Amino acid sequence: MAPNKRMILKADVNRIYDEEYSEQKIRQEKYFIRPSRKKKAKKAGWFAIGMGIDFPFCIILMILLTIGTIMMFSASYAFSYYTQGNSYYYLWRQLIFIGLGIVGMIVMSFFNYNKLHKIAPIVLGIAYFALVLVLILPSNGVKRWIPLGMFNIQPSEIAKFAVILFFAHWASKYYNKMQLARYSVLPGVLVFGTIAALLFLEPHYSGIVIIAMLTVLMLYIGGMKAKYLLIGGAAMVGVVLLLAITGGLSYAMSRMDGWGQALIYTDEDMWQTTWQTRNSLYAIGSGGLWGLGLGQSRQKYLYLPEPQNDFIFAIVVEELGLIGATMVLLIFALLVWRGITLSLRAKDKFGKLLGIGLTSQIGIQVVLNILVITDWLPNTGISLPFFSYGGSSLIMLLAQMGIILSISRTANIERQ
Amino acid sequence: MESKKRAAKGPNQRLRQRTAILIIIILVLGFGAALGRLSFLTLVQGSELQEKAVGQQLKDTTIPAKRGSIFDVNGKVLAESASVWQVVMAPINFKTDEQREAVAKGLSEILELQYENVLEKTRQESYYVVVKRKIEVEQRDKIIEFMEEIEKKYKCGNVLQLLDDYKRYYPKDDLASCVIGFAGSDEQGLEGVEYQYDEYLSGTPGRMVTATNARGTNMPFSFEQNIESKDGDNVYLTIDETVQSICEKYMKQGIINNNVLNRGVCIAMDVNTGAIIACVTVDGYNLNDPYSLPDDVKEEIEELPKDDQAEAEGLALAAMWRNKAITDTYMPGSVFKICTASMALEEGKVNDNTNFVCGGSVTFGNDIIHCHARGGHGNQTFVQAICNSCNPAFIQIGQLVGIEKFREYYQGFGFSEKTGIDLPGEAEDNFWEEGTMSEVDFAVASFGQNFSITPIQMITATAAVANGGYVLQPYVVSKITDAQGNVVKNVERKVKRQVISKATSDKMNEILAYNTETAGATSGYVTGYKIAGKTGTSEKVGAGEVKSIFNEDYIASFCGYAPADDPQIAMLVFFDTPSAGSYYGSQVSSPVFINIMTEVLPYLEIKTSYSDDELAYIDVSAGDYTGLSVSDAQEAAEKDGFTTSVKGSGEKVIAQIPTVSSKISTGGNIVLYTDEDSKSELVKVPDLVGMSASEVNYTAATYDLNVSFSGAVSSGGISSSQDIPEGTEVSPGTVISVSFTGSSATFND
Repeated sequence: MAPNKRMILKADVNRIYDEEYSEQKIRQEKYFIRPSRKKKAKKAGWFAIGMGIDFPFCIILMILLTIGTIMMFSASYAFSYYTQGNSYYYLWRQLIFIGLGIVGMIVMSFFNYNKLHKIAPIVLGIAYFALVLVLILPSNGVKRWIPLGMFNIQPSEIAKFAVILFFAHWASKYYNKMQLARYSVLPGVLVFGTIAALLFLEPHYSGIVIIAMLTVLMLYIGGMKAKYLLIGGAAMVGVVLLLAITGGLSYAMSRMDGWGQALIYTDEDMWQTTWQTRNSLYAIGSGGLWGLGLGQSRQKYLYLPEPQNDFIFAIVVEELGLIGATMVLLIFALLVWRGITLSLRAKDKFGKLLGIGLTSQIGIQVVLNILVITDWLPNTGISLPFFSYGGSSLIMLLAQMGIILSISRTANIERQ
Repeated sequence: MESKKRAAKGPNQRLRQRTAILIIIILVLGFGAALGRLSFLTLVQGSELQEKAVGQQLKDTTIPAKRGSIFDVNGKVLAESASVWQVVMAPINFKTDEQREAVAKGLSEILELQYENVLEKTRQESYYVVVKRKIEVEQRDKIIEFMEEIEKKYKCGNVLQLLDDYKRYYPKDDLASCVIGFAGSDEQGLEGVEYQYDEYLSGTPGRMVTATNARGTNMPFSFEQNIESKDGDNVYLTIDETVQSICEKYMKQGIINNNVLNRGVCIAMDVNTGAIIACVTVDGYNLNDPYSLPDDVKEEIEELPKDDQAEAEGLALAAMWRNKAITDTYMPGSVFKICTASMALEEGKVNDNTNFVCGGSVTFGNDIIHCHARGGHGNQTFVQAICNSCNPAFIQIGQLVGIEKFREYYQGFGFSEKTGIDLPGEAEDNFWEEGTMSEVDFAVASFGQNFSITPIQMITATAAVANGGYVLQPYVVSKITDAQGNVVKNVERKVKRQVISKATSDKMNEILAYNTETAGATSGYVTGYKIAGKTGTSEKVGAGEVKSIFNEDYIASFCGYAPADDPQIAMLVFFDTPSAGSYYGSQVSSPVFINIMTEVLPYLEIKTSYSDDELAYIDVSAGDYTGLSVSDAQEAAEKDGFTTSVKGSGEKVIAQIPTVSSKISTGGNIVLYTDEDSKSELVKVPDLVGMSASEVNYTAATYDLNVSFSGAVSSGGISSSQDIPEGTEVSPGTVISVSFTGSSATFND
């Protein structure tokens, strides 16, 4: 009985948050988990010894990270040479971030994600703090980054995580009350509203869009009534319209200027404004079905500004073609699929919601990123996970993957 | 119960449902949309977008092709291109004024340019500014050094670039300038063969398609596609450089001797193929410096008002570049009688003995046409009429042929069409339209006046008379080879038509050879060769203001071919507006013709055919008889065909005049000296002018002198000059050169 006691206690803790859990279920889990863990320990080696992280998810993640790093190197090669005088500048830094990120991921994968349950409000608080701090810190123009020595931190990255974490915490705690507007709509509006307001001041509109999507997503899977979703959606459209009319959306509008018309020359200013998008389209078009070959991109030679950042996928298409791009998207889809399915098997609601939220965030970012670089969405600055160069976001991202891995330890898919 | 049921299947079920919806939204709708959009861009819009991308990525640099060389018929280089370089600057890459000033200073010093001008170029916002073209190796090396230096010191080595360039050289300067022409600064042919065969010579420029980054500089990584330039083809002319330079030498002399005001032309043609062996327009111009005018013209222009100078200079240059041989027309005058005579013979209207009467003039209504012999030639045969170049006789010959036939033959000889020579700017003739030719017009036309043709047409027609009646297409390029030596084009003789029969041609050769033989130096006589020729002196009717010292401006021409019994080479010599001494073709052009032919015929290894008379006067070389005993020396000299006279009383010959290898006539006298005293003996040179050859021989012999003959010795010629003047004291045996001219005092024009 001794080994089981610990599990019961753990389950009891969960029960405090998740009132849906019955004794019977706890027993079932006891029955299920223990033998499977032992079995795994014998069968699957390193990944399973006392850990049981999800092997396929981990592999998919590593594949993506490898491809992403190679492509980041290829894309940044020329830009790095011209701006830093050294073609490897971005590669080395990215490798350091990846190293740090993987350490973070491993740490997080050992970290009992249930502890996040308690600190979710604190994380949200930190996000608010960072969002306010970035506004206070001196900076010229756009205030999106908190300088932190070697790299900068984007408060919006923290905010995204905080929102997912908070609503996973909230919805699992009040799951059976989520149908009530005051448990779902109200916190949603409050949290999103305040964060959006702060992001608006930076300004960081794409951040707002993603926060909005994440909030809705979390509330939706958290059990909110679908009709509120519709009402909320309508309200959001209304707010955007209102802002547009009052002119508060000027910056976003200016970024949206030329949206969808990158290839049409109207005047010189517009031509310059749409420069990045246009060259992204040129790169994608040049790729064709098979691509120009790895490392053979021409558009990365200063035509596409900062090709290692948001527009990296344009270089991926140019070099690897539609075939290569489809493969990359498939791997992303696999990651999302695996992430969501393993999260669904998490043993508690919090784990499920958190896992689905974190995984979906990747899917959403991928889709938005591609729609931006193909000129179907305005150029608003959405990076491509695992591909785009960037210190804080990559480390954050990998740490979040660590959380998913941590969740996967409790999941029971394909354990036989 | 209901709520319990809902609770039981509730939350987890709902989560699964909603997650499924979420997956559908993200993976199916989201990823699907992304993939669809990507497919559209890559597959549907792909080529269009790629085109635009390539358009901005590729910098297309032209690699100049090396222009082909021009060779003469024997492969001597007449024009070639040498590698040089051009310095190109990308001033947009400058970052500081310090860099600009340093580069401008260095460049201005190395390239000998104005500092301010270069500095101004460094301030342009451009990727491509040509600093200097056609720099040579030394400057290039300095530039390379300089590029390294500025890279080290100022980190701006990327602002300069050296590109290939070519420069055209013409090793013979002005030789055959009107044929070769010249190429411009971009190696484009502007005149002559350079222009006509530009397509072959220029080659195909290559393209260096370099991928450039958005700053326009080459990508630092290997990414370029070269389409090699194809060097131009080499053009081989039919021109023989040696013949050409002989022609030019004597033509220039003729210009000076006769103070010719409006240039001269000499064309030598292979009568059997139509190949132009030499084509001279004097004065030509220096092909290496085609834009500089002769000093006198320059001075003239400088005297003009400032505003007119540029235009005047342009006109003067155009005039200088004109190839008079094919671009200008002239009235052929008596030379045309070759054609008139040929048609009359061909039509059977005349024979050798057909009689013509010349009373000195012919009257048509109010118009009186004079013969150059004012007293008239009286009764004369057809052959005599040609030798006399009698205008009234030719009016009658023309009338025998008839105006319609005359026009037919005129066309047949190719005067009414361009010859089609492969040189630019060929002019057309100026003749009466059909039906507009009056009786007087026709009368004058029959001896070559009042219509104009080009020199090339005249020589082509003459060649047809000589070669059996075949009108050929003249050409100056014999073959074209590519840079590797493979023949690209081979030019063959092209017969346009046969205008007269072989028999008529033979007859004409005979008559014209007889003309030359009898007229001697006034009609192209060259010792050792049978020359057929005809002089011509045409009035420049209606040419405006008279410029020469004569009461009218004339064109003095001579057209002939050799050997008359097997014609090989035809030559037309003409001087436009001579203004010194004489204006007759026989006196201005014929001597030049003789001089040229005397050198050219042996060079071309045309077989000599000496007449018996000529053999008597052929120069031979004196042998070496010194050191021998007197009797041995006499024996040896006599064996060599010389007579001897011994001076002094010594036993051995210590000196001889003429000295070893001196040219003296066959049967000349060798004076053998046997002691020192005898050498001081001198004789006075007698007057040897105005005698026949045998008289000269006899007189010289009586004075113990030797003679060397030149000119029309054999055909009853009269000596016209001697190189050592009468009265000069010379040693016995000295060789005196005596020139002979034709017997008749009348100049048969």
